[in-house]
Amino acid sequence: MLLQLKNVSKWVQSGGQRVFLLKDINFWVNEGDFISIMGPSGSGKSTLLNGIGMLDAFSAGEYAFLDQPVHTIKEKQRAKLYKEHIGFVFQSYHLIDELTVKENLEMPLLYKKYKSSQIKALVADTLDRFNIVGKKDLFPSQLSGGQQQLVGIARALIASPKLILADEPTGNLNSKQGEEIMETFTQLNKVGVTIIQVTHSEKNMAYGSRVINLLDGHIV
Amino acid sequence: MFRNHIKIALRNITKDKMFTAIKIGGFAIGIAACLLITLFIRDELSYDTHYKNKDRIYRVVVEFNIEGERIKNVHFQLPFAEALVSDFPEIIKSGKYNSGALFGAGDKSLRLEGETQNRLEKGFVFMDSGLLEVLEIPLIQGNPKNALDEPNSLIITKEKADQYYPNGDAMGNVLILDNNTEMPYRITGVMDNTGLKTHFQYDFLMGISDQNASWMNSNYMTYVLVDEHTDIALLEKKMASVIEKYIVPALKDAGRDSDSFNTLRKSTFELQPVADIYLKTDNQIQDRLSHGDIRFVWLFAAIALFILGLAGINFINLSTAKSANRAKEVGLRKTVGAFRRNLISQFLAESIIFSILSFVLGLFFAWLLLPYFNAIADKAVLFPLNSWWFLPLILFSAFLIGIIAGIYPAFYLSAFKPINVLKGRLSIGSKSGKIRSGLVVFQFSISIILIIGTLIIYRQMDYILTKDLGYTKEQVMLIEGANALGNRTQSFKKQIQYMSSVQQVSVSDYLPIEGKKRNGNSFKKAGEGYQIGGVGLASQIWRVDYDYNRTLGIKIKEGRDFFIERASDSINSIIVNEMMVKKLGLSEPIGKKISNGFDWTIIGVVEDFHFNSLKIGIEPLALVIGNSPETISVKLNSSDINSSIEAIKKIWDTSVPNQAFQYTFLDQDFAMMHKDVKRMGIIFNSFALFAILVACLGLFALSAFMVEQRKKEISIRLVLGASFKNIYRLLTINFLKLVLVSICIAVPIGWYIMQRWLEDFAYRIELSWQIFVIAGILALGTAIFTISYQSISVAFIKPLKNLRTE
Repeated sequence: MLLQLKNVSKWVQSGGQRVFLLKDINFWVNEGDFISIMGPSGSGKSTLLNGIGMLDAFSAGEYAFLDQPVHTIKEKQRAKLYKEHIGFVFQSYHLIDELTVKENLEMPLLYKKYKSSQIKALVADTLDRFNIVGKKDLFPSQLSGGQQQLVGIARALIASPKLILADEPTGNLNSKQGEEIMETFTQLNKVGVTIIQVTHSEKNMAYGSRVINLLDGHIV
Repeated sequence: MFRNHIKIALRNITKDKMFTAIKIGGFAIGIAACLLITLFIRDELSYDTHYKNKDRIYRVVVEFNIEGERIKNVHFQLPFAEALVSDFPEIIKSGKYNSGALFGAGDKSLRLEGETQNRLEKGFVFMDSGLLEVLEIPLIQGNPKNALDEPNSLIITKEKADQYYPNGDAMGNVLILDNNTEMPYRITGVMDNTGLKTHFQYDFLMGISDQNASWMNSNYMTYVLVDEHTDIALLEKKMASVIEKYIVPALKDAGRDSDSFNTLRKSTFELQPVADIYLKTDNQIQDRLSHGDIRFVWLFAAIALFILGLAGINFINLSTAKSANRAKEVGLRKTVGAFRRNLISQFLAESIIFSILSFVLGLFFAWLLLPYFNAIADKAVLFPLNSWWFLPLILFSAFLIGIIAGIYPAFYLSAFKPINVLKGRLSIGSKSGKIRSGLVVFQFSISIILIIGTLIIYRQMDYILTKDLGYTKEQVMLIEGANALGNRTQSFKKQIQYMSSVQQVSVSDYLPIEGKKRNGNSFKKAGEGYQIGGVGLASQIWRVDYDYNRTLGIKIKEGRDFFIERASDSINSIIVNEMMVKKLGLSEPIGKKISNGFDWTIIGVVEDFHFNSLKIGIEPLALVIGNSPETISVKLNSSDINSSIEAIKKIWDTSVPNQAFQYTFLDQDFAMMHKDVKRMGIIFNSFALFAILVACLGLFALSAFMVEQRKKEISIRLVLGASFKNIYRLLTINFLKLVLVSICIAVPIGWYIMQRWLEDFAYRIELSWQIFVIAGILALGTAIFTISYQSISVAFIKPLKNLRTE
């Protein structure tokens, strides 16, 4: 088992009252899963994803990631955990505009203290794998949305994380580009990468192996 | 519409309190500094502007050309002033005064007729009635046409008149000066010079008693009032005829050779406008007046502009940096129908409101700081709040500066295209980033130049105040008004000499402090003609006593000191300084004879010591035994100065019961002599600090914006595994690059400016590379410190907040 959530809740204080974003969520993820989180706007999809990604803490409940109790360990260790094992893909790509494709890919490796020879090799591999060798010296603004998201996925994958978290990865793309991105995810999943995606679209949902439906913070 | 502008502006002010505080506060500090400097400059420029005939009053200056060396002088012969009026019809009136201590000007003890108690007063000067008229001395009693015609006439200030004659008319009363009952002075006038800004600051004006109408002695500062429409350049040329007509015949009578005539014929005259005397008098001219310095006025004006510029740049930088936050507003306003000019006027209105608020706050700061500033600058500047022009001027300046500072942000912000803004596609242009970087470099360059200036001025001040002067100024007490001792001088000297706390005592008014007694004379080798263009070597000859050199710690280099046992020492023995030996070209000086009209035998050579301000080099000097009993110098032992003073005071009080014991210390007088240097240094440093503070505020705010703008990027990096250290370096390095560029720009400029400033001093520090390294390190340190606050705040960024998709 990769991760498990037990009775997890998340709330915010508003005017002296607790407003629940998530309530009593229970589920687990095995390695190799491809999970789609579905639900209307405001149902808590992104909150759940961010909690899993450890970018945000849950208010209550237990969260185990690789058998480590995320809800009790210290902030620093938690950061270490997600930096090592989780890759993020965002709806609006979040590439750094001032850096080229190649440099964007290098960045996570630089921060993880890879040797420069290793970085070179990994970047070359990844460019090759995603078929973007020809674009390596372009800046994000010179790419189409689909290409940018491809780079975003490549960047998320480059340090070989165990889990990819994707928050509406195709939200800003047209349907053809969206399909291509989903194909990429499927292929990655086939070679063993665990993926959790948040999506609005039934079509995208179909790519996943399991669906979690959220409504007003509950799993339905 | 306008009300709407104001409403939005006020809401923006309260929305982001820190930035508002920096924007308005920084601007206000700049305005306060600028205002104080402006008041200071205005005060400096206000000297001698009150005369009715101010464009027609001149001081006469002569420039000698002695074998190529140009020497300016303002001292003229007694008959010179009258000769000018009789020879040149353009000159309507002339006047003269003599402030030389040698002739009895300066300090005097004073008592009312019929009383016994003497009081020491300062600021006595000999002058004629002509000068009363030329300088428009404001007499409230007495007739300026003839008030000083009699040798024993005296004009005093209203303040002194009220002090000495609290319930009566001062006019016609008699005063005894320096115990001289044979020549009592009668008050023939009272002047009210309170609050008058003039270079001519004397409290007691005495009629001229000097009867020596010779064309050989120059002791009188001479002023003229010229006719309207006078061609000054022409008059200056014509004045040279005085030399041929009066001076050359006098020299011939005295038996001087033709060399000296020829040298004199090369002299040129110059008429210095009265308004220039205070600020624009050459250092070389020794007129015993206190001067300002026009270069400091310029320097301060430049600093004021810089500070205002720095504050303005902050304003612009902060406004454009804030653009991301305003862009959405601009986009929305445009989509609902605003034209660009509406937006420009909105942003300008906002800028003007900011500017007015800053001015109000700045005025308040300046008002708070004015007393401190007056104390530092030794001024009594008042806030011209009551002047009709002041408030309109301030308001106008606030508008103008508001518009200037607001115009760039207004155009920049109003140019956003709504579609880009609303789609969130606003890329904060790299172009505006470049301009902002340029402005930061500009700010830091100026700050670094000011840091360099501050360091160098401080070092130079320290150098002057601690320089080895060739004599000992510490623990030397100067007893003033000692001529009151009369024939008890020697017994008084013996009594304090025997005190265990006293090392040495010397009676002489000639002291190595500017403003003390001086006696210029020209020397030659005995038995030869006058060298150096026939006019001889301009030197000082000082009358001292046998203990002078020991009391002041002046070192004998060759030969010997004066001995009281040698009868000839008090007749024709002379001790000279090294400079005199060098200038006269004496090898083996001991035993040689030199002459100033009287032949002296050199018995000793003293090491050169500084007896002028360090702005001037050491001049030739000769010491002879003589009587000059106004000041007694007492070298004390270091232990318990206070009880020594008490003991000496007791002896004084029994010797001179009718005059209070007055003393200073030589080192204090020395510090006073250089107080202008010190004062300017302190003022400069204070304002430099102001400027640096303003620049730092700007950098602080800018780094905050940088962080704000790059929040998204930083968040991405954090999510991708960047550590705090990585981010800190990322944010800091860009600014540090700018600071390094600034250092490269500032160092050569600072070097050049300070080199020029130092040239003014005959004795000065060398500009060493260490100063520039220290300045660079200080600038870098300040920058890192300023930026770090913001860079560190990044540690508390929540990446999630910035990565949410709108």
